Amino acid sequence: MALVKTLANLKSVQILTNKLAALSVVQQNGMSMYPPYYINPIFKKDAQVELFENGEAQKLAHIPTKAALIDQTCSIYYDDDIRLFRNYIMRSGRKSLARELLDKAFEKVKRSQLEKFHKAKTEEDKNKIVLDPREVFHMAVDNCKPVLFLTPIKRGGVKYQVPVPITEKKSQFLSMKWLIEAATDKERTVHFPEKLAYELIDASNNTGRVVKRKQDLHRQCEANRAYAHYRWS
Amino acid sequence: MRTFAALLAARGARKETSVPYQEILPLKLKQRVSGKGDNSSDVCCIQEMSLMLACFKLNEFDQSLCSKEVQNFSKCYQGHLQTKQKQKEMDEKGILRMGERNLSHKQLNKYLRKFPNI
Repeated sequence: MALVKTLANLKSVQILTNKLAALSVVQQNGMSMYPPYYINPIFKKDAQVELFENGEAQKLAHIPTKAALIDQTCSIYYDDDIRLFRNYIMRSGRKSLARELLDKAFEKVKRSQLEKFHKAKTEEDKNKIVLDPREVFHMAVDNCKPVLFLTPIKRGGVKYQVPVPITEKKSQFLSMKWLIEAATDKERTVHFPEKLAYELIDASNNTGRVVKRKQDLHRQCEANRAYAHYRWS
Repeated sequence: MRTFAALLAARGARKETSVPYQEILPLKLKQRVSGKGDNSSDVCCIQEMSLMLACFKLNEFDQSLCSKEVQNFSKCYQGHLQTKQKQKEMDEKGILRMGERNLSHKQLNKYLRKFPNI
């Protein structure tokens, strides 16, 4: 009994020290409501099945886990990137409106792609057209991702625009932001989903304003490549 | 010569020992170093970047024609980030490895605590 008690004590001490160690480091979870040692939930059914087969689930069972977000489901229509994009579209927390807009945009993409598909005469042309709007979306985002960006660095009283490599996350964010900005920059009579669908299809074909914007950024980086060694952390 | 001798006589030649040396601060180095000057530069992958930009310029900024260069560049940057992350973890843990040349201030402090100078 005593042994069990000491063991329990030891364990609690260990947990406490772990927590202290986690707290002593600069908090990286920002405004999260969870302490830093909470892990992200695994909410997809097939991932869970895989965990049980691996035996990893047994390990994870006793680790404190965050609750899944309200829109994280194991539906086949769930997509992490699309969820993110929808949240970027959202203004003033009106998620239902954001969802409606994106669904409408996807519908428009589907309709115009189908129209192209039926208009195409040869089998070869038909095979080239992507009919799935989700696939079109992913292609568009991939095509708009920059590989470099410019950051201002002050040297000797002069601000230089220095080209620096970009992380995957930031490049994805910029790509999605540019797509949304291109879609909001429209005439009053055109609706947002319509314009977004247009931009998505354009970007998926590696043409259009957003791809041009990415290329412009690269062009600027190329012009400022002499400053690249000014980089500083 | 006569004036010099007279001056010496007037002031009285001082012996070195007559002015005791006061040490205001202890005359030894501190047992730690500050991390202030540890601003290591973050320049990396310049070679890959310039190759990629040259390829971009050649192909009118069409990224699909430079996929190899882009891949090399992103791979280089990923590697750089990973080594940086590893270094940071090591620093936080304060792991000391034998024969390491570039010590961080944290590692140095750890050494100094272990083997304080006299």
